[in-house]
Amino acid sequence: MTTETAAVPASRFDRARLLAWLQDYGVYAAIAALILVNIAITPRFLTLENLRTQLVQVAPVVIVSFGMALVIGTEGVDLSVGSVMALTTALIPLYLGYGVVPAVVAGLLGGVAVGLVNGSLVAFVGVQPIVATLALFVGGRGIALVVAGGQLKDVHDQTLLDLGSSSLAGIPLPVVVAAVLTVVVMAVVRRTTFGRRLVAIGGNRTASELSGLPVRRVLLLVYVVSGLLAAVAGTLATARLQASDPSSLGLLMELSAITAVVVGGTPLNGGRVRVLGTVAGALLIQLVRATLIKHDLADSIAQMVQAVIILAAVYAARGAGRR
Amino acid sequence: MTHRVRAAAFVALLTLAAAGCAKSEDDKQAGAQDTAGQQQVAQTPAGNVPTCTIDKFGAHKFDLKSGVVGFSQSEKEANPFRIAETASIKSEAKKLGIANLKTTNGQSQFNKQISDVQQLIAQGAQALVIAPLNSDGWEPVLQQAAAKHIPIITVDRQINATACKDYVTFIGSDFYTQGKRAADQMIKALGGKGKVAILLGASGNNVTTDRTNGFKDELKQKAPGIQITFQQTGDFAREKGQQVTEQLIQSNPDVGGLYAENDEMALGAVTALKGAGKKAGQIKIVSVDGTRNAVSQIPGGWISAVIESNPRFGPLAFQTLTNFLNGEAIPQKVIISDREYDASNAKQSVSSAY
Repeated sequence: MTTETAAVPASRFDRARLLAWLQDYGVYAAIAALILVNIAITPRFLTLENLRTQLVQVAPVVIVSFGMALVIGTEGVDLSVGSVMALTTALIPLYLGYGVVPAVVAGLLGGVAVGLVNGSLVAFVGVQPIVATLALFVGGRGIALVVAGGQLKDVHDQTLLDLGSSSLAGIPLPVVVAAVLTVVVMAVVRRTTFGRRLVAIGGNRTASELSGLPVRRVLLLVYVVSGLLAAVAGTLATARLQASDPSSLGLLMELSAITAVVVGGTPLNGGRVRVLGTVAGALLIQLVRATLIKHDLADSIAQMVQAVIILAAVYAARGAGRR
Repeated sequence: MTHRVRAAAFVALLTLAAAGCAKSEDDKQAGAQDTAGQQQVAQTPAGNVPTCTIDKFGAHKFDLKSGVVGFSQSEKEANPFRIAETASIKSEAKKLGIANLKTTNGQSQFNKQISDVQQLIAQGAQALVIAPLNSDGWEPVLQQAAAKHIPIITVDRQINATACKDYVTFIGSDFYTQGKRAADQMIKALGGKGKVAILLGASGNNVTTDRTNGFKDELKQKAPGIQITFQQTGDFAREKGQQVTEQLIQSNPDVGGLYAENDEMALGAVTALKGAGKKAGQIKIVSVDGTRNAVSQIPGGWISAVIESNPRFGPLAFQTLTNFLNGEAIPQKVIISDREYDASNAKQSVSSAY
């Protein structure tokens, strides 16, 4: 009898622990499982070209997701990232006449500008992040279409195209950029005061304010970084598409990024940023999509599977939070 | 508050700066120029279809030049088809001396298009040219127009209603036939056998359905040796076409032909094939639209053939309207004859693509 009564609290404890483990490492387990399944059922899955394709396609999502992870770490959200990509892709061809560097700088400045507006609204005006960034989620693409004259433009500048298609030691450049940014963002989160402050603000804003942290400045900077990273992704996506298409580039990117962050184990209520988990979250979604496409299943199924993954991640996070 | 003002000013400044000192790579853009290109030609002989006259429809006569004509565009002018379509309507109106052409754009939102047309009616439009986003849901507008006896011509997509009663006539392409002709080109390119993949258009769109069914029916009938082994949506967008093709060439390396249901997806596929180190013509691509960008890929062998979907509705629409107002009998359905581009004519006729 004694063992039975002891078993109930023990199993409850185990369940919470399991969910906590799932929140932290479930995404890696899911990736491993999906890779094994693909090796078994998908022909030519284990090829270098396939690996390259998946990594190149996921690179912009990973880069945008880093910005999103930092913002979510402060208990915020940035809905404008897809529109930033549109704005960047619209700006680049306008300035290519001056050369690649001015064009890319102009594109990146577009992202910084959007970040400044978002950050100001959140940090200084005190608007809820979801509302503040909703404005430019809607308006940003509009501005992009006005700037671009509303139409798709081909990009011919070889230096810019190389950003999307050339390789460094056999690794495609967008993947190199994403990998470098992974290291940088990890270092920022773990080793810098900025990183520690943003996590502190997400954990408890009032306490951070009372203890004298420059909360507003940190919040402003977080949204600027998110805008800048989205602009970097927009630049790489433009180079890869070899065209500027502001009406469709980055569509639904905010949802992919939020999914990657949440599935990667970063809690939506802030206070924690999981960088490698975010990379894994983005990879998982990419693998799901690739698996379904390779087996000729409809795109709508991929969306449903994505929804199930999000629900599972949120469930794990909620259960783990009850520890 | 000051921050909000400052922020708004910043964005406004940025936009101005972006527009002001821009210097683009090259200024020639497909679609922007030369909308006069190749005029549409009606295919259906007038005798075969029921006709409509102004008396039968019950509209009032008016002088087109001094009258108010409304044009309602369905989608953003972000792709060559819509750009060329709107430009063609505007330039033809200008040519005919129609001083009062009012144009609206529904921005791909059906509700907006409905209220656009209602606005046009309220502004006193005496005739309407509509490029409908959807086929259904037009009853409220049709009733309002009928009450004022306003003749309506729909272009490129049909409205589910009665010709010569709810609207006068429809002018457009036959998307099913476009699919069949694409299949004929694919059969030719593959020599009647092989495996084919389809990049579908946006789901739930009748253009997608018709272009798919036409293609499949024709293959089934004429080339049982060709198998369709893969079909995925590319949402009519270049990026999606590129990404899906990248997956496709790894999972189905035996695919010999690719049917893209619009030119943008075909161009995305070309970028994907180039990126994967394929050679021109290794995978035969056939697409539908006839944009200059796609047609100019034919001589190099990246695209085998393009079936045209002619967007230049201006001349035919206003000719039909003029005839109608003059009391002549006009056909209740005008199917235009689309051309096709392949290696034999692409070089010479690329200038007439849009």
